[in-house]
Amino acid sequence: MTQTPADPVLHSGRDRQALTTSNRTESLGRPEPPGPPRGRRRAGVAWLFLLPGVALFAVFVLGPMIYSFRISLYDWNLVTPDRSEWLGFANYARALGDPTFQRAVVNTIAYTAVTVPAQMILGTALAVLLNKAIRGRAVYRVLYYLPVVTPWVIVALLFKFLFVGQGGFVNHILRNVLGVVDHDILWLADPLLIFAPIMALGIWKGLGWTAVIVLAGLQIIPAELEDAAKVDGAGPWQRFRFVTLPLLRPTLVFLFVVLVVGGLNAYVSNLLITDGGQPFGQTHFVLTLMYQETFTRLDFGYGAAISYLLTALVFMISVVQLRLLRRRVDL
Amino acid sequence: MRQRNQTVWRLAALATALVLTLGACDSTAGDATSTTGAVEVTTTTATQPADETTTTEETPVEEATVTYWHTMSEPEAAQLDAVIAAFEGANPGITVEPTRYAYDDFKAALTTSIAGGEGPDTARLDIIWVPEFAELGALLPLDGELASFDETASSVFPGPLATNLWDGSYYGLPQNTNTQVLLWNRDMFEAAGITEPPATLEEFATTACALSDSDAGTYGYGMGGTYFWAPAPIFYSSGGAVVDEGITTATGYVNGPESVAAFELLTGLYNDGCLSPSILGGGVGTAEGHATGAYATIIDGPWMVDIYRNDFPDFEVNFAPIPAEPDGTTSSVVGGENVVVFADTDQKDAALAWTEFLLSEESQRLLAEVGVVPTLSGLAGDPALPEYFEVFMAQLETAQARVPHPRWGDMDTAINEAFQRMLQGTQTPQEALDQAAEEINALLQ
Amino acid sequence: MSSRLRHRADKTATHLILAVGALVVILPFLFMASTSLKSRTQVLEYPPRLLPTAPNLDNYVEVIRAEQFGVYFVNSLIVAVAATGLTLLVSTLLAYGFARFEFRWKEPVFYGLLLGMMIPPVMLIIPQFLVARNLGLLNSLLGLIVVYVTMNLALQTFLLRGFFEDIPRELEEAAVIDGAAPGTILWRIIIPLSRPGLAVVAIFTFLYAWDEFPWAHVAIQETSKRTLPIAIALFHGQYSTQWGLVFAASIIALLPVVVVFVFFQRYFIRGVSTSGIKG
Repeated sequence: MTQTPADPVLHSGRDRQALTTSNRTESLGRPEPPGPPRGRRRAGVAWLFLLPGVALFAVFVLGPMIYSFRISLYDWNLVTPDRSEWLGFANYARALGDPTFQRAVVNTIAYTAVTVPAQMILGTALAVLLNKAIRGRAVYRVLYYLPVVTPWVIVALLFKFLFVGQGGFVNHILRNVLGVVDHDILWLADPLLIFAPIMALGIWKGLGWTAVIVLAGLQIIPAELEDAAKVDGAGPWQRFRFVTLPLLRPTLVFLFVVLVVGGLNAYVSNLLITDGGQPFGQTHFVLTLMYQETFTRLDFGYGAAISYLLTALVFMISVVQLRLLRRRVDL
Repeated sequence: MRQRNQTVWRLAALATALVLTLGACDSTAGDATSTTGAVEVTTTTATQPADETTTTEETPVEEATVTYWHTMSEPEAAQLDAVIAAFEGANPGITVEPTRYAYDDFKAALTTSIAGGEGPDTARLDIIWVPEFAELGALLPLDGELASFDETASSVFPGPLATNLWDGSYYGLPQNTNTQVLLWNRDMFEAAGITEPPATLEEFATTACALSDSDAGTYGYGMGGTYFWAPAPIFYSSGGAVVDEGITTATGYVNGPESVAAFELLTGLYNDGCLSPSILGGGVGTAEGHATGAYATIIDGPWMVDIYRNDFPDFEVNFAPIPAEPDGTTSSVVGGENVVVFADTDQKDAALAWTEFLLSEESQRLLAEVGVVPTLSGLAGDPALPEYFEVFMAQLETAQARVPHPRWGDMDTAINEAFQRMLQGTQTPQEALDQAAEEINALLQ
Repeated sequence: MSSRLRHRADKTATHLILAVGALVVILPFLFMASTSLKSRTQVLEYPPRLLPTAPNLDNYVEVIRAEQFGVYFVNSLIVAVAATGLTLLVSTLLAYGFARFEFRWKEPVFYGLLLGMMIPPVMLIIPQFLVARNLGLLNSLLGLIVVYVTMNLALQTFLLRGFFEDIPRELEEAAVIDGAAPGTILWRIIIPLSRPGLAVVAIFTFLYAWDEFPWAHVAIQETSKRTLPIAIALFHGQYSTQWGLVFAASIIALLPVVVVFVFFQRYFIRGVSTSGIKG
């Protein structure tokens, strides 16, 4: 059944074994079943599987994407689109030259650079722990999953409330319980410190999500391999590093790509905690700036241009990631 | 071969089951046609309903549904049903269909629906949005469409009415209004030996400082932020103005002597520790602070009555007019909502009738019962209205509208940031406002 | 240390770390829960009290009695269940197509799908609104379902493809030799071995559909067809928010998602997938 894949490097070790098996079978001279040449029928069947998904995608994502791109080339008139003024790439140029936009890009990348590794490391550690055969495991899993399940709007406002300067909960802990600081820190008034609650929120919310995916990935790893390593005298860390981690690799690569995409696209938490880039529009993420331009200032063309610039950034980063990490990994 | 058929059949069965379930669910949940679909059944130009086949030529009954989107609170929305019932009673054949939206997300939903051609017939908009939507061409100019417009216009407060003016036409009517007045904490005042709220701006400043003790965390005055709505009452009461009457320039207005004086007052209070530093973010809110003794005075609107009744029932709220100039002229800022009719409505006559009704005394009285301040000036001092309305409606006689311009949001930002710079000390009030004037002028081009 | 002692120490250490971590992680959630049990006057107390003095279920009662809350809940349930089922179906087909077939344009199509995942959904709302209107899908739960499935497709397909490709081909080859068709292979072999992956898809799709707000907010204009997140947003007032109600409503809204999670997490048990590999 298996055809020689176009790029043999792409498949994992297990498939290499399978390849040799199939080659052996083919060389036994099994007759080809009657019908159209295998290649064409394969492609036909493949498209049968692909069709529902691709059709939905084309109608609801691809089409709208093209429409959005079109909007970005105009000073778009919401009510009578025919009256929109053609701008070419002026919206894009405007964004690239806008210091608020530039700052937003920096903020967004910084946020991603901090929260993604934190989620991956903590999430993987958590998944390993949640995978152990201890009593009450299911309860722990549910508890760690709760942040994932609570809607962004609720927890963003909650975190904002907890980080309030005068008499806020976090300040209360830092000041009175732990005694680490001697005065109330005005988290929400400072353009840099305000990212503390935003990042904490991002990590807090993503932890359980990451752990669930790694947990699923861990199930594929046969226990026999770890047991064999244990018998060979390998310690827990060595077992993790040389047995678990390599086999987790596809999952981790997937997570890395998806978390980065998510980080670059973050906006609800920022929107609610910074009230739209306060102060002085310095605390925007790219998407909160886009949201403000589109739905508050009603400059749809500009907003669309900003989101396309973000998409381009995200796409470029993802391609780089996949290129670098794809060797010997299935995607 | 048999196996493949089996699998394919199974998958197909699964898919079919899902689709059928969806279809069944959808039909039980109601008709898939949208409400605007129902609206398209009849046009307002026809005098005969499309589906009625009457042989007699009596008064034709026009079946029309008017959609009305709003951001009223739940108690207000409940009262709205009474208003609708009254309207429908007086106008058989017209049904009003209200949809309630959360304030924070309303604009996004509205603009998306308009862009998609599925906007409502009428809506209650924040007054600030009216010039914006008018400039886009989304609204009907009511002074041209409503026969009774002049009559209605003369019966409402001038400030709220002015918020509907754009480019020479009125694109809405003020449905409800509000303004800000001074709230003073009687207990804190009397503890310091003061029995009356400050009447002039000078008294206000000295009182604020007399009641402040920054070490204890109490302040004479607390503000919710630096957005224009917060300093606006003091600003207007000091004689300040953002732009000239023709809305052509800000130079000499937002950075004129009275405007600068207003901001110098506020910045002075901040520097002297009489204005809570929470104005720059992250402190106790004005509502709680006022009730719990952190802020002796705040400036806020009529919704505080409800808030205090629910959150701090033991707190006695006291209102007073905004402190005035030495010559007694007080002013404040106008807030509220306007009712508008959208240009692409196909129920124009019914929509206009509904709009008219919202401005009627009957409707205004009904909504006043749930704490909505009416816009009909004739109702000022009316004994049937809640008592605390009096100070607000009196203030409304002198309250001023913010600049009715589509770019107001950016002007607000310019002043907001100027205020922040003053408070942070990077610029003097005059310098900061000079910069704001430049930025606003650029927006007026 | 003997192996048994080491084993027990390991378990204790695990418990300790998990317990402490869990406490820190659910602290905000505990705050939410405790606020939901407070009456309105207690919500804004300072210093904030974790344990309410007179806990009561008034908020919950008020939420459940709120106009049409039950309707919104049921609407959300219908949408989430249908979206989950359809997504499982479509993404399984898609992922299998990518995992096991070779054809021209395979990689470009896959990258195109990934691109869809990278687009900020917020940007597509207006054109999607137009498409939905033209297809008559506005103001209908079906409209929500279709869009949710589509928007979630790329991520779930990406995930499942990895799981499918991990399954060794010997199993499928054996089936092919026996004359099985791709559909049977999918149904009888691939799916049972991918349970953890499918469980993840189910959990996250349900969560996504259940909590989604921006699209549901604009696509549904009729009050009776609204979903739960909209209902919760409506507890936010323009001038003040009734936090007790908001949190009570949020906690009620959490329950189905937690149930789904508890149900599907049982598939995160090692051993189910290894049965066919040995030998």
